[in-house]
Amino acid sequence: MSRPSGWLTRKEFLRLTGVSLAGASFPWLAGCGGGSGSSGASAGGGIWKQFSGMTLNFVSENTSPTSAIAANLQSFQELTGITINVLQLELQTLVQKIALDIGSGEGSYQIIYADPYQVLAPYHQALAELNEFNEDPDLPSVPKGLEDFIPTQLAAAGRFANEETLYALPYDCPTMIWMYRKDLFERYGDRMSQDLGFDPTPSAESTWEHYYQTARWFNDNVDEVPYGTGHQARQYDSLMCDFSNVLWAYGGDYFGQGEEVGTLGTADPGPSTLDEPQAVEAAAFYQKLLAIAHPGSTSWDWNTTDEAFRTGQMAMTPNWHEFAAVDQDPAESEIVGKIGYAPLPRGPARRANMWGGTGIGINKRAPIEEQKAAWLFLVWATSPETMLMGMKSDVGGGTPTRSSLYELPEVKKAMEPPSEMPNLLTYDAVSEAWKPENIGLRPKIQSWNECDTAIYTELSRMLADQKSPEQAMKTAKRYFDEAQARARTLASAPGQGGVA
Amino acid sequence: MAATQQTRGRGGSADAKGSSRGGISLEMRMLLPVLLLLAVLSLFPFFYIVWMSLNTVSLISGVSFEWAGLTNWGRMFTDEIVGAAWLRGAIYFVATVGLEMVLGIAIALLVHELVWGKNLAISLILLPMFMAPVIVGLLGRFLTDSSYGLYSYVLQQTGLYQDDILGSSGSALVAVILMDVWEWTPLIALIVLAGLASVNQYVIEAAKVDGAGYWQRLRHIVLPSIAGVVLVALLIRSMDAIRYFDIITVTTNGGPGNTTKIIPLRLYETAFRFFDLGYAAAIGLGMLVFSILVATVFVQILQRRGLAR
Repeated sequence: MSRPSGWLTRKEFLRLTGVSLAGASFPWLAGCGGGSGSSGASAGGGIWKQFSGMTLNFVSENTSPTSAIAANLQSFQELTGITINVLQLELQTLVQKIALDIGSGEGSYQIIYADPYQVLAPYHQALAELNEFNEDPDLPSVPKGLEDFIPTQLAAAGRFANEETLYALPYDCPTMIWMYRKDLFERYGDRMSQDLGFDPTPSAESTWEHYYQTARWFNDNVDEVPYGTGHQARQYDSLMCDFSNVLWAYGGDYFGQGEEVGTLGTADPGPSTLDEPQAVEAAAFYQKLLAIAHPGSTSWDWNTTDEAFRTGQMAMTPNWHEFAAVDQDPAESEIVGKIGYAPLPRGPARRANMWGGTGIGINKRAPIEEQKAAWLFLVWATSPETMLMGMKSDVGGGTPTRSSLYELPEVKKAMEPPSEMPNLLTYDAVSEAWKPENIGLRPKIQSWNECDTAIYTELSRMLADQKSPEQAMKTAKRYFDEAQARARTLASAPGQGGVA
Repeated sequence: MAATQQTRGRGGSADAKGSSRGGISLEMRMLLPVLLLLAVLSLFPFFYIVWMSLNTVSLISGVSFEWAGLTNWGRMFTDEIVGAAWLRGAIYFVATVGLEMVLGIAIALLVHELVWGKNLAISLILLPMFMAPVIVGLLGRFLTDSSYGLYSYVLQQTGLYQDDILGSSGSALVAVILMDVWEWTPLIALIVLAGLASVNQYVIEAAKVDGAGYWQRLRHIVLPSIAGVVLVALLIRSMDAIRYFDIITVTTNGGPGNTTKIIPLRLYETAFRFFDLGYAAAIGLGMLVFSILVATVFVQILQRRGLAR
């Protein structure tokens, strides 16, 4: 539908009138309109107060952004009169709760932390279509528009199988980068360069082979740290994340249509390509790398890997960038101020940095009024001002999923030490990692949980010397294909309403 | 007063006779509502799970069933991961229950001989049993951590073991077995101690007078006397060991390389990670059948020994 330019739509009129009301009622909202000057989050008290008295449940993984949200819910309650109960769980328990809630048809959790792989892909049919709320004139729209979200993250965290339907708003964006002991690299850099024949300082030219040789050099020559590298290689999701960086760097992938399967996701990714030579080569390199890594690696997940890094157990590690906050906390870390950040090394094919972000969505099983109230929370929780508040929070806070925030002077200032928002110290590395050519997106398919288990189990068997890289990849491929076949059967069952 | 009691007695007798009419006693009629409730609570889920195992179950559009016949059952008998999990479970089962029985009986015999400080010793020995298994797992993970764990440190310093305990195939299985043994050996010791208290002291004294040594008394009097109690302890621990889950989940999550993935972990994974509920129901029923078989064997042994009614 077209309209003459210069005319105000009903929605725009409501937005503009809302801005002035918001300025009077909620001073913290008044200044957050940003460049657009009209944002849902800045809209008037009337549309924000329409569900006053309602209580909603938000089920989330126990992450820093949610801890920050939970600690600052008072401002949302004052704005809307809505009470939010936050339930924070370990990821696996969270997925169970959501699946069982969806299965029961109860809609007890109106607001859902929609992990793209474990919730969004298998249960997207149970999530509300957010465009309807965003375009509803009686509801606030996303401040600064959807365009303000980093595009790859909006597609990966919010959509499934097509570019139109929106199921979740990008909420957090942990990404794997190369964390290293800057102090040790400075102290031993010259000696390493001489011995190794290349500059070991992490840079755009660094390769995984350099990484391996540097780690081995630390093992042999440095006493300050017991090992050169450490990895999150426990038989768990973390192992798949750690390996995927290498897999993609070597030109391998889980499925043939890698990019599409990772960004938007698909119901039918085709046969797995894990048995192809690039994947086998990546697995062989990963086995070689882990053979010289800290022996604790095979029992560490992401939390324990970071714990080992910040207690000085290794000189470098592929790590989630949001651990920067705790690594720079003197109460928790022995290496404050000694850490350098870089994108992960490149392989023969490219550089790949595993992205582990998530969106928040609305449970379609909840009554429509509750869904609308939940939308208010989504808009508030992903608004620039709430994300900024989260970064400053004493209880943690994440990293913004919105481009505009990175342009704020106080955010730019925090990118250099000393920083009040230590996650931003990683910005140069993560902004490089988020580029479409560098981001690593695992397959967004309905059977991902089963495929994920298959790959990390086979990798674990390979690391335990029970299988060769080739055998591990071949077996993983077989399990991937079997899991996909079962998912297709399930999706074609009567009453499932298709898969996309 | 006596008259009243007599009346009550007669009345009771008359009621009892009356209640026998139709073959249902008064007691049975009083128990019936609770029994029916229990039956509903037990039988409904049982038949529901049987029904699930014959269907493909989906949660996407609410719970829905699609008839699958014996597909899930057929898959269970040909699934190499499930087969390997059963095999590892058997190794784990024999190792934990075996060690717990031997150590539990040994500890009980030692404590039973204590002249003073027996109560204190019992209290200390029982402590691990009162910890939640998940806490035992977390404690075990802490103590075996290769960076700061006490056990790792001692093993590394003494040169006995250099690798990561929970990160290496062989040691991980041994570690989780020992964690379970640490927690549940006290239960066996407690049960056996109760059995030892009931051993006829006159027989022991008579044997001593006849010149029987400790090992002779143990072999010919004590062990036969406590055999029934030991079997009960064995039954209790066996039922528990079949569904062992918490410690492994917290420490190794079934790894490394699936070396600690026993059947309850695979069941959990299938049900609550893959949400393949029909197949999970078949695996769960397989575990139920195995539990019933184990229990039946023990009960038959008890019956053969005249120790079960």
